[in-house]
Amino acid sequence: MTPLDPNQVKERSEALLQSAKTVLGSWAAAIAAPAPNRIDVTLTPDDLERAVSTLVTARWGYLAAITGLDIGVTSGMLEVLYHFCSDAVIVTLRVQIPRENPAVPSICDKIPYADLYERELMEMFGITVTNTPSPTRLFVAEDWPEGVFPLRKDAPVQEPTIRA
Amino acid sequence: MQTQETEKKFIFPIGPQHPALKEPGHFEFTVDGEVVTAATVRLGYVHRGIEKAVETRNWVQNLYLLERVCGICSHIHATAYCLGVEQLAGVSAPPRAQAIREVISEMERIHSHLLWLGVAAHEAGFDTLFMYAWRDRETIMNLLEELSGNRVHYSANVLGGVKFDISPEQAASIRKGMDFLEGRTCHYIEEVLHDPALLERTQGIGTTTREQAEQWGIVGPTARASGVARDIRVDAPYGGYVQFPVEMVIDTAGDLLARFTVRLKELLECYRVVRTILENLPAGDLTVRMPRRIKAGETISRVEAPRGELFYFLKSNGTDTPERIKVRTPSICNWESVLKLAIGHQLADMPMLLVGIDPCFSCSDRMVIVNRGHDNASPWTWEQLRQYGIAFYKNARRGQ
Repeated sequence: MTPLDPNQVKERSEALLQSAKTVLGSWAAAIAAPAPNRIDVTLTPDDLERAVSTLVTARWGYLAAITGLDIGVTSGMLEVLYHFCSDAVIVTLRVQIPRENPAVPSICDKIPYADLYERELMEMFGITVTNTPSPTRLFVAEDWPEGVFPLRKDAPVQEPTIRA
Repeated sequence: MQTQETEKKFIFPIGPQHPALKEPGHFEFTVDGEVVTAATVRLGYVHRGIEKAVETRNWVQNLYLLERVCGICSHIHATAYCLGVEQLAGVSAPPRAQAIREVISEMERIHSHLLWLGVAAHEAGFDTLFMYAWRDRETIMNLLEELSGNRVHYSANVLGGVKFDISPEQAASIRKGMDFLEGRTCHYIEEVLHDPALLERTQGIGTTTREQAEQWGIVGPTARASGVARDIRVDAPYGGYVQFPVEMVIDTAGDLLARFTVRLKELLECYRVVRTILENLPAGDLTVRMPRRIKAGETISRVEAPRGELFYFLKSNGTDTPERIKVRTPSICNWESVLKLAIGHQLADMPMLLVGIDPCFSCSDRMVIVNRGHDNASPWTWEQLRQYGIAFYKNARRGQ
């Protein structure tokens, strides 16, 4: 396949961004454009499943990653980002959830391979992913303490001991 | 493929000892006679908590940490990180640095694909090809050492550019290396396409349709072997790839043979683009000045690693340390496909199926067979499974 020139890439990106906006428009609480090839769509946790469904039904791109984000202890919130990519365009679905009993619905029934990403999110941030097919540990050790979620900002950090 | 459930079930635990890879895994294959009926994975045996560690180090220190996510594709991790940080800081590396980054990226792909060719040939029992492929790989390792002083962590990147230049003498030896490797690669393509014993292990094995590849989220050469036209270098050209584009190699067959041909043809494309860059290397500086504190903001950086799309999400809070860095490596996408593909295949095909996605196999040399049906547990090493696979196909040939 012959590579596209930058103008063609730009044209395609604009068309893709427009179609994503059209598809997601009705669910979005807010749409931001942090970069020319990106849009961030803020959603409520209840709308997440329907938004993902519409992207999948419209065959818009693919799920590239799920990022957990601790936006600070004082805010009392955690954030989950679902990054969808198509060519050069990235659509990020952003969902904010409270730190106390945080939960998001599983999207594995729509995107089966989200399984590993959801398992990582659960153990690193202590976010419950409801109805995920295998809620077992993926990365953290068997003897890892319950209730310690390493990527949260308030997770206890042990200074490394240097052996003499 | 259809599977049959009977009472005699065997579970094969494979791993977890893969100490050289970021994703060492523990697989369990449930078998019914010769046929695999279920597969699961458990990762994280050497999880080093890099995503947490980056939050306590500054932007410059993190470059060295992230380069060590992987020992095979160290440069591409650093490149993804540098591109992201530069984007946040609002600077752009000079054209010469971008071009040198691309040369090193493609040389890294060459060494990675040749490494894979050797490993895949070895798993198929074709050790002559394994030894030749790894001998030839030394050419590229020596060239990387000549450029950077290192064989593995070439550490070419700095924030805002690259550390070293490519002198005309070095360019000449790279060109010589590319000419030699191109000849060898053409020979290997002939071998892979015509050797009957290898074809038996690759043709029609592990066939993944385009729909399946998309559904399972496969990335990189494995996806392209199933006709998924997805390559970040082409879809979203970054750095030097805008000036020096590459052509995407795709195949629609979707079997192991297609994964061989896609990777081998990508090698030819690597040689071409390295030559083109060396002939047209832009003049100018190697670095631009980078601020110590990075402006607050979020960015996403995607690059094409030898195994597929590598995804970085970076968030800065305006200080000299990052707020959050998320790394999604290509292998994590591809493990899932092995689990799905395994079902319905012969146990003897497992070594080749696993190797088809290009994981690290020098490290999975530990395996246990548990015979649940007869309660006579006996340990198997990876080597035994490999030998079993080779013998299985030899016997099948004799029986014909």
